[in-house]
Amino acid sequence: MVPLKTRDLAQRLLTYETTGDKTSVSTESTVLHVYEKLRYHLCALAGVAGFHSLASRALTLAKTKAPSLSAMQMAADGSLHQLGDAELESDKHQGGEGQVVLVSELLGQLHAFIGEALTLRLLQDAWPNAVFDDCDSRDGEKHERTR
Amino acid sequence: MSARDKVSIKKLPTGVLGLDEIVGGGLPEFSFNIIAGAPGSGKTTLAHQFVFANATPERPALYFTVLGESAIKMLRYQQQYTFFDPAKLPNSIRFINLSQIVLEKDLGAVLAEIIKEVEKSNPAVVVVDSFRTMVRKPQGSPSEMDLQSFIQQLALFLASWQATTFLIGEYASDELRDNPIFTVADGLFWLSQIAERNSVVRKLQIVKLRGQASVPGLHTFRITDAGLQAFSRTFGLSGHKSKPPSQRRLSIGIPELDKLMGGGIPEGDSVLVTGASGTGKSVLATQFIAEGIRQGEPGIVAVFEERPQAYADRAGSFGLDLETPQKEGTLLILYLRPLDLSVDETMNEILDAVKRIGAKRLVIDSLAGFEMALSPGFREDFRESLYRMIFALTGIGVTILSTVEVDESFTEFPFSTYSISFLTDDIIRLRYVSIDGQLRKILVIIKMRGGDHSQDIREYEITSQGMIVAGERLKNYERLITGIPERVNRFGEKEELPLKSEAKSKS
Repeated sequence: MVPLKTRDLAQRLLTYETTGDKTSVSTESTVLHVYEKLRYHLCALAGVAGFHSLASRALTLAKTKAPSLSAMQMAADGSLHQLGDAELESDKHQGGEGQVVLVSELLGQLHAFIGEALTLRLLQDAWPNAVFDDCDSRDGEKHERTR
Repeated sequence: MSARDKVSIKKLPTGVLGLDEIVGGGLPEFSFNIIAGAPGSGKTTLAHQFVFANATPERPALYFTVLGESAIKMLRYQQQYTFFDPAKLPNSIRFINLSQIVLEKDLGAVLAEIIKEVEKSNPAVVVVDSFRTMVRKPQGSPSEMDLQSFIQQLALFLASWQATTFLIGEYASDELRDNPIFTVADGLFWLSQIAERNSVVRKLQIVKLRGQASVPGLHTFRITDAGLQAFSRTFGLSGHKSKPPSQRRLSIGIPELDKLMGGGIPEGDSVLVTGASGTGKSVLATQFIAEGIRQGEPGIVAVFEERPQAYADRAGSFGLDLETPQKEGTLLILYLRPLDLSVDETMNEILDAVKRIGAKRLVIDSLAGFEMALSPGFREDFRESLYRMIFALTGIGVTILSTVEVDESFTEFPFSTYSISFLTDDIIRLRYVSIDGQLRKILVIIKMRGGDHSQDIREYEITSQGMIVAGERLKNYERLITGIPERVNRFGEKEELPLKSEAKSKS
């Protein structure tokens, strides 16, 4: 089970890309938009190899939880191959569960390594207009460190 | 050129406790520095401390990581330090990974990428961690000339962008000599760690620093939760004006002993109280501190062999209240028992305490305990370190009384096992003597640099009131300092002492 905190965060990012960012038009590619933004920022921070190691682990874990992701492949630069039509349709029927799981697993990896505060900082950098400061912290209090 | 015409070089805080003093007040702005040392010596942490102390959203820090420690793991570990402020990421501090460019391209491409990022952010601080790995990539390794050229261009570019720069590199100490890369740098920080038996000693050396005077030599540092903490060899007192010599005498709280010393201990002196176990060295030291408190002179007792509460309790048994002044903040009992201390760290603790309470008197009880608390590597330098410590403290007007235990010998009269008598201004020697079938105690002032003192050998007792020097000088004995004196008559002739049983039968 994906922790609620990262799952909630993943859901927010996907929702933000779908509704908040007018440049995102295709619902099917929302997950790729989110993923690509994360990839761009994390590659700058950790390098391609660093990002690839995190993301491939996240994808492996996500595949075990969301069968609709089974055909998804990762390239050497850490980019994802577009979901096939059949998988997308299947995932759509499952309420986009695969998308949420993949992003939340990636956020979970990041969270495990650098903690919540820094993860949120990095997300804020990638989504400067998004608001993350109402995310519940571990002790249930409002998070103070994000804008 | 007058001082007004000279360019003023701003000094930036290093973010490392104690290091600003070592580098001469702070790191010169726009300087190009190299932090070198073996893996695990604290290079990255030092750079991080500087970055966190100086980066702002307006003038951020760019932290370029190359091959080596993964940035994600670096952040994982570095955030454990108290100086790490996540709020500074990413607006004030940006981490940029260059490993792909290093692996796939040449140094020119690396330089181009750094230039691109610097022009975009206008940073105040730039770090490249670790630049050494760039020359160790398996294929197409650049020559030393390529690397020197790269560093030369990087230094010129970053100076023109008014960035203070750190290049971090793994170097062994034997690589220091004749390395052309180091000639480019304005500052060269050398970190090392040396294993001594079971302990590790960390040292920092400012090999070079252009534009200002740094404190020379090897400085101890420690890595704690707060990051690096450096301990200057001059104990933070370089440039500090020495207090002019005082004519004042400080009472020890033992009137007869004060008289023997010509009115007490000259203020600012270093006194050594030496004697065998149980002769009352600590009692004398406690009376000295308690008398200071009574006269409104705050004091510090550095103890190594017992805990502060036990020390205070023992003083209480002699009618000396050390509890109240501790509560009132006029007395600090520092327990410095942890092993692997350096003299510099110990000194740092003592000096902090001296400044905190404005201490005038300091007791070190005892030097043997002090030595045992030190890391084995520092024990070799104990005398030299002790000299620096005493010189520094007495220079600011603190009067120091140290105790040292000596093995009692009936053929010698040693003052100290450390051959440190030259470090002290005054020596009070306590010893046991065998007189009239009793083991009694005598004291004598061996030396006083500040003036005349009594030559008398006096008997003393340790009572419930502390040390009491009683009676006249012991005139009727010879060879007192051997511990086995001989009674003499008023003509100086040796007297045969009858055994008690013989005396009894005669009567």
